[in-house]
Amino acid sequence: MIRNYIKSAFRNIVKNKFYSFLNILGLSVGLIAFVFLFLYINDERSYDKYHENASRIHRIESNFTIAGKHEMFAIVPIPMGPALQLEYPEVESVVRIFGAGNSLFRNEEKESYEEDFYFTDSTYFQVFTHTMIMGDPDRCLVEPLSIVLTKSIATKYFGDKDPMGKILESGSGRQFKVTGVMEDVPSNSHLRFDALISGTTLAAEAGEEEFNSMEPVRFWNIGVYTYLMLNENSDMRSIHEKFPEFYVKYMKDIGDQVNASYELMSTPLTEQHFSDHLSSDQPKGNKAFIYIFIAVAVFILLIAAINYMNMATARSTKRAREVGIRKVAGAYKGQLIRQFLGESLMLSYISLVIAVAFVYLLLPDFNLLAGKSVTYDIFQNPVFIIGIIIIATIIGILSGSYPAFYLSSFNPVTVVKGAVSKTGGSGMLRKILVVFQFFIATAMIISTIIVSQQLSYLRNKDLGFDMENMMILELQDSTFRAKAPMFREELLQNPDILGITNSIGVPGRNTWIQVVRMEKDTGWIDESSIITIVDYHYFDVYDIKLKQGRFFDENMGTDAEEAVIVNETLVKTYGWEDDPIGKIIHWGFDLDGSGGRKMKVIGVIEDYHFKSLHNTVQQQMMFMADFNKANLSIRINGENLRETIDHIEEKWNDFGANRPFNYRFLEETWDEMYTAEKNLGLIFSIATILTIFIALLGLLGLSSFIAEQRTKEIGLRKIFGASMANIIRLLYKEFAILIGIAFILAIPVAWYVLSLWLENFAFHIQIGVLAFILGGVMSLAVGLLSISFHIIKVASSNPVKAIKYE
Amino acid sequence: MIKTENLSKIFRTDEVETTALDEVSFEVKQGEFVAIMGPSGCGKSTLLNILGLLDNPSGGDYYFNDKEVSTFSERQRAKLRKKNIGFVFQSFNLIDELNVQENVELPLIYLGMPASQRRKRVEEVLEKMQIIHRRKHFPMQLSGGQQQRVAVARAVIANPHLILADEPTGNLDSANGEEVMNLLESLNNEGTTIIIVTHSQRDAEYAQRIVRLFDGQIITENIK
Repeated sequence: MIRNYIKSAFRNIVKNKFYSFLNILGLSVGLIAFVFLFLYINDERSYDKYHENASRIHRIESNFTIAGKHEMFAIVPIPMGPALQLEYPEVESVVRIFGAGNSLFRNEEKESYEEDFYFTDSTYFQVFTHTMIMGDPDRCLVEPLSIVLTKSIATKYFGDKDPMGKILESGSGRQFKVTGVMEDVPSNSHLRFDALISGTTLAAEAGEEEFNSMEPVRFWNIGVYTYLMLNENSDMRSIHEKFPEFYVKYMKDIGDQVNASYELMSTPLTEQHFSDHLSSDQPKGNKAFIYIFIAVAVFILLIAAINYMNMATARSTKRAREVGIRKVAGAYKGQLIRQFLGESLMLSYISLVIAVAFVYLLLPDFNLLAGKSVTYDIFQNPVFIIGIIIIATIIGILSGSYPAFYLSSFNPVTVVKGAVSKTGGSGMLRKILVVFQFFIATAMIISTIIVSQQLSYLRNKDLGFDMENMMILELQDSTFRAKAPMFREELLQNPDILGITNSIGVPGRNTWIQVVRMEKDTGWIDESSIITIVDYHYFDVYDIKLKQGRFFDENMGTDAEEAVIVNETLVKTYGWEDDPIGKIIHWGFDLDGSGGRKMKVIGVIEDYHFKSLHNTVQQQMMFMADFNKANLSIRINGENLRETIDHIEEKWNDFGANRPFNYRFLEETWDEMYTAEKNLGLIFSIATILTIFIALLGLLGLSSFIAEQRTKEIGLRKIFGASMANIIRLLYKEFAILIGIAFILAIPVAWYVLSLWLENFAFHIQIGVLAFILGGVMSLAVGLLSISFHIIKVASSNPVKAIKYE
Repeated sequence: MIKTENLSKIFRTDEVETTALDEVSFEVKQGEFVAIMGPSGCGKSTLLNILGLLDNPSGGDYYFNDKEVSTFSERQRAKLRKKNIGFVFQSFNLIDELNVQENVELPLIYLGMPASQRRKRVEEVLEKMQIIHRRKHFPMQLSGGQQQRVAVARAVIANPHLILADEPTGNLDSANGEEVMNLLESLNNEGTTIIIVTHSQRDAEYAQRIVRLFDGQIITENIK
């Protein structure tokens, strides 16, 4: 019996080549898209789960309340972790991770800047699971000046030589000894690093006692990423419950003095990738994207399944005779259902094989596009294999069940007499399914348009400063920093260098937030503000507009120490609208309010964006201070970019910078802030194109059936005077109405979902009618185009055939 | 009104060449009632399709109202057809999805007649065909005789000068068949030219002239 089913399924597939081709193509494309989206989602959800103790690890985080405002950070004060371990037996281990900044490393052969080297506690490898290639995980981070390299960094500096015991020197002259080599950190880890340095290095440098101090004041300095590993059966909740006592013991005194309080927050390691964005956090995933992708994956498959349903029921009249004959010959209804399901399952499995082959071929492209590193191992993963077989089975049954039940319920007597209604299944149901397909496709087209509008808005919005051709040079070397003014003068000799400013903090980088005191009628109040240390040229070079007062003036001797320029938002936040000029800001004071520097506001600038457009503009103050400023912003004439960069590098070396010439353009930095959105936009566009493609295959098939089914009607209409144009209009109209209904349904859904997405941005476009009109026109155009072939064919056919049709 | 000279039609498939009409020459005058008879496969329907401007001949000339039309394009034929010719078929060929009224109305829509005039005209014709009480019914709900009356109504709705009927009584019992033939006769009395293809000697009796076809050729033409 099974053999008979398979044989008959196979013959039917072969016999109806055109429809089988459309179905297999649609299902294959759908499955390819589904598998890739699944791989993406799976990878996103797998973050940090590979650590053996993952379920017991939590990251602790800070919620400071200062002057009534919450500031949340992904980091906690340096002694927090050790103090919690001291107080609570639930804490088995503590790991802290200290950033090492962007620093230079070298050995005899190679020197390079490294941004992802971190200091960490010796407990690191007891808490986190990594594959060690060389070295003892328990001992390798114990001694000061020990460094554990990832495999790729080991290769970068030492080639294929054995790095163990070798020395890697830092730019500041520290000599690190390689005590271990580990596999690279998996890409599905929220914490990515290239090397780990023993935290005892910092302790040795600062002094053991100072470094490990649990003085109250040390709890009020923000510090490090800290992970707690709890005992089995312990719960983070109990630590949160007991934290108020901890606060009283370690932190309350100073908190009361500075009018601040502190709350401990935590996130389980396995949820880290999707947790809320906190200050100082690593870039991470977005759960909303995951839901969007799941929905898209399911929709694409549904649309492919609907294609099958539509084509199978539309074709049912042709199968009705077969059903009748089989029933007359003694087939039970159940047997026929199984036979028809066999066909849809076979199509589904054929499509699966094709899809898997393409997934295999396209995997490297997918990794590149999605920023993932899914390996070919996935094809040997039983869960994956069984999973996709289950999906293909579900799709086969889902798409085959309606046609199977419909076809198998034909009455053999009427069927054999040839009296089955010509409409071929419920025309209404088919219309609803087409509407559903186009509803999804149209909603996706509209969404793609709006996402791309927002991306273009992000690119083109006036940020209030000019970042064009702005090179940022980091000055790490203190001797070179001292020479910066001379270096600046020298560079300005070149007419292609249009301006240079030296600052701590440039737009999009290095946000420094600090509590300062503001003068109010009622006295002093504590407030936080972004602080940027600038020079006389900052505003001019960045083309930032003055709103009120004046800029810094080299002729005013006191500007260097007593003047501050603030932005409009700061003026508004502190209620200084009446007259901000001359107001006093107290910065850098000690806990008891003494010391620091009091500065007078001399100017107010128009707001400019210091952070990405996800964020609102925050209060910011800019003043000059005698720090060794660290970021040189150099505006270059765009016409001679290459030559000018070479010129700067030459001067850089002439001035004896003993560091490699390492620059970035500000535009790149800003671009990177929108990487997640760009990826979303790209993946979404591809998914949209595929969805439309599959929906079009469906329409192509359906229009062919409809043309066939209505040959008689159309022929008669022509005999009685209808022109080809009349017929084409008649058929177009029917599809256009369906697409129109789909469009109307798509409007509110797309509008709602996109409004939610746009809320991620403090600055975003207003959703306009244009996107909807464009989306509607596009879906109508592609829809009508896809049915044109068959409609024109039937409309131009000879009507004589129509009356012979019976 | 109609004149053919050496009209021929050859059907070709990959393997076989079939001559359906072989140099047929004949003439039908305005107001005539002509029956075409002959055994199955003699080319009657092919001739009727060509006369009805549904198909082009492979050779020879066809004059419709003194105009040579054998090489007309599909568009030109359609234009001529919708003003001048009405059709009645053996299998009625009503559109299942449209009701009686809508089926009958169809030619008028394609002539571009305004809706109010169409409604009036449809009512008149349905009344004449005694099918007005069934105007909202669908073809499936009607008997064969009723369906054919609807088909005749559709054929005459646009006041054509020529009605072509292909075995109009073939699917009907004798009473219903007679009724349809009476309808055609009365139309002829009002001046409409009628050509029918039939197997039935009784139907042919209604005609003023019988043309006999055999293997694509006219063998006799007798005027009663």
